[in-house]
Amino acid sequence: MLGRRHSESGTGAWGQVFPARAPNGSLLDCWTFKQAHHRPRPQQDDNSSTSTTPTATTTRTIAKMEVLLGITGKDFTIIAASKAAMRGATILKTSDDKTRSLNKHTLMAFSGEAGDTVQFAEYIQRNAQLYSMRNESDLSPSALAHFVRGELATSLRSRKPYNVNLLMGGVDPITGKPSLYWLDYLASLADVPYAAHGYAQYYCLSILDKHHHPDITLGQGIKLLNMCTDELKRRLPIDFKGMVVKAVKADGIIDIEFDDDKIVKSA
Amino acid sequence: MVGKDCVAIACDLRLGVQALTVSNNFPKIFQYGDVFLGLTGLATDVNTVSDVFRYKTNMYRLREERDIAPRTFANLVSSSLYERRFGPYFVSPVVAGLDPKTSKPFICGFDSIGCIDFAKDFIVSGTASEQLFGMCEGLWEPDMEPDALFETISQALLNAVDRDALSGWGAHVYIIEKDKVTKRLLKGRQD
Amino acid sequence: MPGFDFSNYNRNAALHARGVPLPKATSTGTTIVGCIFDGGVVIAADTRATSGPIVADKNCEKLHYISPQIWCAGAGTAADTEFTTALISSQLELHSLSTGRKPRVVTCMTLLKQHLFRYQGHIGAYLVVAGCDPTGTHLFTVHAHGSTDKLPYVTMGSGSLAAMSVFETQWKPQLSEEDAIKLASDAIMAGIFNDLGSGSNVDVAVITKDKTTLKRNFIRPNEKSAKLQSYAFPKGTTAVLNEKVIKKNDIGRYVTVEEVPLDEEKMDVDT
Repeated sequence: MLGRRHSESGTGAWGQVFPARAPNGSLLDCWTFKQAHHRPRPQQDDNSSTSTTPTATTTRTIAKMEVLLGITGKDFTIIAASKAAMRGATILKTSDDKTRSLNKHTLMAFSGEAGDTVQFAEYIQRNAQLYSMRNESDLSPSALAHFVRGELATSLRSRKPYNVNLLMGGVDPITGKPSLYWLDYLASLADVPYAAHGYAQYYCLSILDKHHHPDITLGQGIKLLNMCTDELKRRLPIDFKGMVVKAVKADGIIDIEFDDDKIVKSA
Repeated sequence: MVGKDCVAIACDLRLGVQALTVSNNFPKIFQYGDVFLGLTGLATDVNTVSDVFRYKTNMYRLREERDIAPRTFANLVSSSLYERRFGPYFVSPVVAGLDPKTSKPFICGFDSIGCIDFAKDFIVSGTASEQLFGMCEGLWEPDMEPDALFETISQALLNAVDRDALSGWGAHVYIIEKDKVTKRLLKGRQD
Repeated sequence: MPGFDFSNYNRNAALHARGVPLPKATSTGTTIVGCIFDGGVVIAADTRATSGPIVADKNCEKLHYISPQIWCAGAGTAADTEFTTALISSQLELHSLSTGRKPRVVTCMTLLKQHLFRYQGHIGAYLVVAGCDPTGTHLFTVHAHGSTDKLPYVTMGSGSLAAMSVFETQWKPQLSEEDAIKLASDAIMAGIFNDLGSGSNVDVAVITKDKTTLKRNFIRPNEKSAKLQSYAFPKGTTAVLNEKVIKKNDIGRYVTVEEVPLDEEKMDVDT
């Protein structure tokens, strides 16, 4: 059985889609265990182990270098994510899209341990799609956020939890109210007007504290986002290769052209 | 905090990762029928535990066709937490409400493994609990009317969290009386 | 038997490794004593519960009911003493119901020690078990690891040394009931005033062949002096940004209950 959640979470009866574990996932774990019982698993950032392997520490630092930003306004939610896909000291890709749309008006951005992120996001995406197909109606952003939290909290209590940080942006199809949810890998959920993950939090939240207002227009939102990315370009020690920017509005998710080549002079 | 034929429960609104504030609108008080539950501690567990008790109280209401009483709820909290004696939720809950039969005030607090602390005056919990102990011990008086109770609990909370770097950013205060509940949002320091 | 749920254990160990401090459990850094007298046994306890250096509860109850003629004084982790005694009390009640006999103190002590031994000291309950049953008057101590003692006078908890000094200087065989109560409460008072983990009031339970008397707050040597002046704030002191009042009567506006007359025709019921 590849799907670890199937056997452990017991949610099978709900008829959810279960993720197949990546080839280096639980199957490999079993082998490692069978072959050498006491050998530590160097590639795993295992939450349950008390010792932290060097690889694990690097993975976490890289995850914090990834930028996720979310801003709500009058009738929209902007979600932005850095384009760089990193592994160790190398940038593997400069056009990575760290977002997945869950339905017409909910978008999720993710960062964290490579592998876990996409696996988890697509698992959620497919369950959201399955729900929409079965019920001929979409889950609201709030309902999805609480569903995701439940899945993350269940995973947290499993043998190898997902190490994923998330932002979920959406516009409620009925009320038209924009919303943004902040979730971390410990499955803490908070409803916020603007949010960030990783080191970007330290730079961007203060800017947003000062300049954000709930009634801003999309144009003003993008301006705010530019202020944030400018600061990140100035202060972050690595180049995050620009941002994928999307906005959720009442009539759907739109891609937004974003000038990644803007040169920012250091302060 | 207990008053004359009324009780009050209050919380601050900060959610943070150590020194970094993530949200300044994260209420920690949850209402289940006529019973109020305050939860401090690890944010993910505040979420989980509040959901667990919403589920449990809803099931109780369906089975019994009545709302759960504060004392019953307190024992439910206690045994639910003790079940996880060796892998606890990192929360220290506070329960407040009026007894549905006698309308007598009821408050109690818990440690993370479910030991109940019945008190006749006040219960505190969270990172500012030491400051709150001092404030409440000094300000609380027996038989306060709802208005006096509101001022007392609010001042106790606001002044305590001002001496705690990890708490604050506004507050919610509930004053619970026999036939009405008043919820107030307090103006607090934003630093 | 309790089924503990360990599903948070690994997560908590991982959190602890990342520097999250484990939560403090309320402990009863306590003085508890027990003493046999002619015709019965007395147990007594202080009423302070602590969490680290903080007094968590100034007037908690450390004398636990097991059965009408068996009572238990508890020290150690407060939740453990509370739930262990409740569990054994329940088992003993069922046992006495099925056998039709009064529960015995040795049975209680054996159940406790077997339960605690199984958990290898991780359940931090330190207990003084006392009671009268058809075989006589008994007094035991049970430690968290499962060891037991049977003695004419016992003390436990952080104040046990202070309390024992009283017993060692004043105890004599064949005490009267009054003298035993006095001796036990003096021992608790020694704990209250000389041990920082103990404080507030003295609770006493006297068990004789015929009846049990629980004297809650038998001695209150630490009454808080009344405040001479008030810190009460005048109405309007606190700045309020938003206020919402929910009245019970208002809820009736949204929910209506109607009596539906019973239908004449019977419903189809499978027979």
